Amino acid sequence: MTVVAPTLERRRLGGSLADFIRRNWLEIVMVLPLVIYILGFTLVPTLQAIQMGFVDEETKAFPSLANYRYLLNRPQFGRAFINHITLTLTGLALEMTVGMIVALVLHREFKGRGILRATLMVPMGVPTLVSGIAMIYILSTTGYLNELLFRLNLTSVPIDWRAGGVPGTLGWVRTLLSVVLADMWKVTPMVSLILLAGLESIPQQIYEAANIDGASAWQTFWKVTFPLLRPSLTMAFVIRGIDAFRIFDLPMVLMGRVFMVITTYAYDEYQQFHNYNISAAAATILFVLIIICISIYLFVAERGKGEAR
Amino acid sequence: MKVKWSNVGFWLIVIVLSLYLIAPLYVLIKISISGGKDVFTAHPSFLVHDFTWKHWSKVLASGYLWPSLRRSLIVATATTVVAVIIAAPAAYVISRLPRGTKYVTVLALFFTRMFPEVSLALPIAVNFIKWGMMDTHVGLVLAHLIMALPFVAWVLVGTYETIPVDLEEAACVDGAGKIGTLMRVVLPLAAPGIAVAAIFTWLMSWNEFTYALYLSLSTRTLPLLTYYYSQRGGFFDAPTYATILTIPVFIVTLFLQRWMRTGYLAGAVKG
Repeated sequence: MTVVAPTLERRRLGGSLADFIRRNWLEIVMVLPLVIYILGFTLVPTLQAIQMGFVDEETKAFPSLANYRYLLNRPQFGRAFINHITLTLTGLALEMTVGMIVALVLHREFKGRGILRATLMVPMGVPTLVSGIAMIYILSTTGYLNELLFRLNLTSVPIDWRAGGVPGTLGWVRTLLSVVLADMWKVTPMVSLILLAGLESIPQQIYEAANIDGASAWQTFWKVTFPLLRPSLTMAFVIRGIDAFRIFDLPMVLMGRVFMVITTYAYDEYQQFHNYNISAAAATILFVLIIICISIYLFVAERGKGEAR
Repeated sequence: MKVKWSNVGFWLIVIVLSLYLIAPLYVLIKISISGGKDVFTAHPSFLVHDFTWKHWSKVLASGYLWPSLRRSLIVATATTVVAVIIAAPAAYVISRLPRGTKYVTVLALFFTRMFPEVSLALPIAVNFIKWGMMDTHVGLVLAHLIMALPFVAWVLVGTYETIPVDLEEAACVDGAGKIGTLMRVVLPLAAPGIAVAAIFTWLMSWNEFTYALYLSLSTRTLPLLTYYYSQRGGFFDAPTYATILTIPVFIVTLFLQRWMRTGYLAGAVKG
């Protein structure tokens, strides 16, 4: 939009601050509460959490690295850290892939498409907590997934999907996949809908042209659909990526202490042991991790070096 | 007749997807109305054979449901009202900013999402303990606004952008004044967008778990109560409470269906 509304005068570089306030007092009044709130309840607590992380839990000395030293020496935290990263990356990769497949399915005309699309909306509103509880009953040893596998003659021995354990073992992989499966239920629909909106904005003529040129379905997807879908893919990836790192409710409900991630570990230190400063340090590590990942992403996307997705 | 394998694959995906989408809610509802014979076995049945209302009547009769329900309703409604009152005017100003500034502002709003709740909730909880604000409705509303405000502002900037500036200029020429133009021209035109944002905010607050967990000692919101029963309750309590928690969500989502088309989302995504 190039037109500036008559209600807001463009800020002139030469104008004094008092002048600016006098001319735009209404706008300032309108926007100020939001700004104050975001500063007071998002920025200040974040800084406070970072500061708390550097206060020694025992001696209350500041600044001190004692909390970080403690975390580094705690195997539980190391495991939570590995869990967090593998969970986020596996989840993101699977959600984007499945989300893409679902979007492609919904893009086709078929009987029952409307119903499937409406069903897809359901998980978006349902609390994560509720899907977590449902998954407890589905994934337990005498749960519905094992029963389904049993009836399909795929297993005879019930599998413990929530065994947890040391990273790298089979039980751990199963637990990781269980959390991913539960998380996907809730978030893949959103990815699909964003991608579907993107698919629907691609003109039909391009496909006709590709068809005339004799492109196979596979070629059409990789050479036509995929490049044109790049903006939607980026959007879905960024939104999901940011949310994926903050995962808390689901591992908390579904796995508790069996499979901890950084967020649930931080909560445990806060709630169970009242180690506020250690909890703050753990939260800060997650925060730094998020910033690093976003920076890497922005750096890669900025370079435009192909597979920035 | 030759079977087209790509078609078989397609329908297989559709069927598996539909089952996957329905399964969790189905399982919860099913357990909440099943007797012991259906579930206390190594091979639970997929259909309800042993139907009973007794878990529901037990939950509804217990004294725990209503205070939590009340707290959840009050907090969600208050959060929605305050979020709209604060964010709607601010979003208007943002939507009329020069292009570059607007882009940066909207991006900044979006990136408030990247702060992990655990690092925000912790200092807030520590402060609230100091100020005696744990367990209060006001405290929880303040916390829920952290998510609600940027979200409402983000959605509404997109809504205001669709309102032509010409209309405002016309109103101004007719002598409506700044505030008159906002109240009589902009607000009515933005009403549908505000309604959608408000409903989403209500759902967000209704579903919210993390802040409620950090900021509650004894009074539980409905999600917290559900969580409590999932950890240490009987086998049937958690699914029943989870179903109760989901009912309003379901009603609201059905109601929203009209607006939740992909086109709407595309608009929101465009930011």
